[in-house]
Amino acid sequence: MDARPALSIQRSGSKQLSSSLPVLPSPLEEKYPKLPDSQQVSIEKELVTSPLALHSAPLPSNSGVIGHMFSSTSGFSTDLHYSTVSPHEKHGSSSPFISQSPCNRPSLPLTHSCSSIPDYSAMSTQYTRRENNASWCTDSLPGFVDFPLSPVRTGQMEGSRAGDIITSEDPNKQNDWQDWADHLITDDDSLTSNWNDLLVDTNVAEPGPKMAYQVPKKPPSSSVHQLQVHQRIPSASGEICTEVNPLSSASNASTKPRMRWTPELHEAFVEAVNQLGGSERATPKGVLKLMKVEGLTIYHVKSHLQKYRTARYRPELSEGLSEKKLNSIEEIASLDLKTGIDITEALRLQMEVQKRLHEQLEIQRNLQLRIEEQGRCLQMMFEKQYKSGTDKPKASSSSAEDPSFASADAIKNSPAENATETSKVDSQKMDGALENTRTAAEESSRKSGEKQKAPETEAAEDREVNEIEESDSRPKKRAKSDESAAASARRVVDLSR
Amino acid sequence: MKFGKRLKQQMQETLPGWRDKFLSYKDLKKLVRLISSLTPMLNGSIRCDKAEAEFVYLLNNEIDKFNAFFMEQEEDFVIRHKELQQRVQRVIDTWGPKGSQPSETDYKEEMAKIRKDIVNFHGEMVLLVNYSNINYTGLAKILKKYDKRTGGLLRLPFIQKVLQQPFYTTDLISKLVKECESTIDAVFPVAEDEKTRGEREAISAAEEGIFRNTVAALFTMQEIRRGSSTYGHHSLPPLNLPESELIHSLQINSLIPIP
Repeated sequence: MDARPALSIQRSGSKQLSSSLPVLPSPLEEKYPKLPDSQQVSIEKELVTSPLALHSAPLPSNSGVIGHMFSSTSGFSTDLHYSTVSPHEKHGSSSPFISQSPCNRPSLPLTHSCSSIPDYSAMSTQYTRRENNASWCTDSLPGFVDFPLSPVRTGQMEGSRAGDIITSEDPNKQNDWQDWADHLITDDDSLTSNWNDLLVDTNVAEPGPKMAYQVPKKPPSSSVHQLQVHQRIPSASGEICTEVNPLSSASNASTKPRMRWTPELHEAFVEAVNQLGGSERATPKGVLKLMKVEGLTIYHVKSHLQKYRTARYRPELSEGLSEKKLNSIEEIASLDLKTGIDITEALRLQMEVQKRLHEQLEIQRNLQLRIEEQGRCLQMMFEKQYKSGTDKPKASSSSAEDPSFASADAIKNSPAENATETSKVDSQKMDGALENTRTAAEESSRKSGEKQKAPETEAAEDREVNEIEESDSRPKKRAKSDESAAASARRVVDLSR
Repeated sequence: MKFGKRLKQQMQETLPGWRDKFLSYKDLKKLVRLISSLTPMLNGSIRCDKAEAEFVYLLNNEIDKFNAFFMEQEEDFVIRHKELQQRVQRVIDTWGPKGSQPSETDYKEEMAKIRKDIVNFHGEMVLLVNYSNINYTGLAKILKKYDKRTGGLLRLPFIQKVLQQPFYTTDLISKLVKECESTIDAVFPVAEDEKTRGEREAISAAEEGIFRNTVAALFTMQEIRRGSSTYGHHSLPPLNLPESELIHSLQINSLIPIP
């Protein structure tokens, strides 16, 4: 099976690529650059070693390898690959299948290689635990599509397609597609088992966001590799985000759980550091002990301490040394001469633009949130209505608006074709409501924008908002006048509350 | 391809360390096209589901990438914010009028440095929010494309989850941004007559790194939100900034590529 070496080489090669569509190993490397080197090395070894005991140095990938891979991976079971990709909800039918396949895998090499990496005891704990878990309980991953697994080899077809694409792309893109195709074709043992473990671990930390940290229920070392667990800590009010949410759990949960540092948590950190005698003298262990924040691991503290030291080092350097001061003064002076403007003025202008951008971003974000929220509510309403099946299809005369509405998600989400007539009726209502919501959102954002505005810019803001309103009436889909839209918008907003 | 072009522009103009952290919009679009061309050949929903699973997998990878980068930056910002505040306090305490060694020149000097740092810091944070936003927009667009091309129902539930991702919940960063603004306003009172400077000065100011990025971001946002042919009720209204001429002129000059 010489396709296998090509696979693992390819994978390690892909780690070197800054691909935009990373395969599982590369995200591990890219995302956690701060991992202590030993850990990182052991991860690499881990992934490369498992099926083959191949400690090869990463090789640059080339299309030759890919071609080889494609042709030889036709015999591979891509069903396992798909089992990797789509963890299932607790469906009795599917989970046995999934749990079967990983268990069939030669798990021994994996565990064996785990144990051969001494300082990675935590990781091996994680993997040995996998042995005990036979099923994937993945109700924390409903985002994935639940499909019945069948050993249908579509991967092959898609792979060859990707291969075609690869050959026709420029070298840069080649890398991206290599990884993508690589992912399609490959279902390396380590990958699968990684996924298993990660998902298993994920599931143990339940997505109950406000629950106490799950550590006591598991071996403490595995918490290191646990995804973040969300917890409300009144004292520290730190946020340890649980990534147990469906989207990222699988590929994220490998080694370094991400901690979301808040200012309060950071304050506690700084206090602890100061108590221990400053950033240079403080040790991660000491800080961890002092902080007494549940769910905080030494890795979090370590990386944070590193960042903290870097941040302190630079300003202290520039403050203390007189020559540095001199240099910076000269810089500022020369900048003045060059640009011909007052440095203060430049900064002020910069600040203005930044403020403006930030405002717009906030407004935009609010709008996005509202739009999606309204879409969701309407979708629910529509589903309820469809289920009750009360509405007689009124065979509404589709105005010019409808085709565009028909392509809207609200309509698309209708489960069957016989719902289209009903949906047309509802669509008009929904779209009307949606547009109302947008008006409402704009109105409210305008209001909030106004509150934030300094007096001199308020006139500008009004002008801007008027333009927004006018441009909204431009699209031909808009049937209502602004006034009535505003009135009904208020009603809708009240309804949705 | 308009959004794709805009995104690419943004990526090229953004801070160097950020360039590979954006959405791989083009690749995902290709994938959607691939899947949609695959779909007619696939019989049965099984394969379609698998393709969808692939797509979802890749999207999740992207989201992970965003989350990781975003939270890393956020952590940095939290630290730096605190440091800046402390620095300001220290300068005020040491060289300020009521400080231990009141010295006007020293005070002004140090404050000038701090001001520059704060403004740049503010800019970086705003750029991070922009990063978050533009990636979200990209995701929304690609999901819409997917649903349109494959007749899938992926978009709505998926985007709901995206909304809760760390990279999209930018409240903390916004809070820090506002704190910076208030610090600046408090420590550096603004004179009223400073609004009427010429364009030339503005243009030369735009060659600074962060500032230029901000300008680019604003401009891009405006462009993205220009009314388009596929304007639907999930689209955002066009963005009309009162200072758009200024932004335009800044933009043209700052199209000099960053080395």
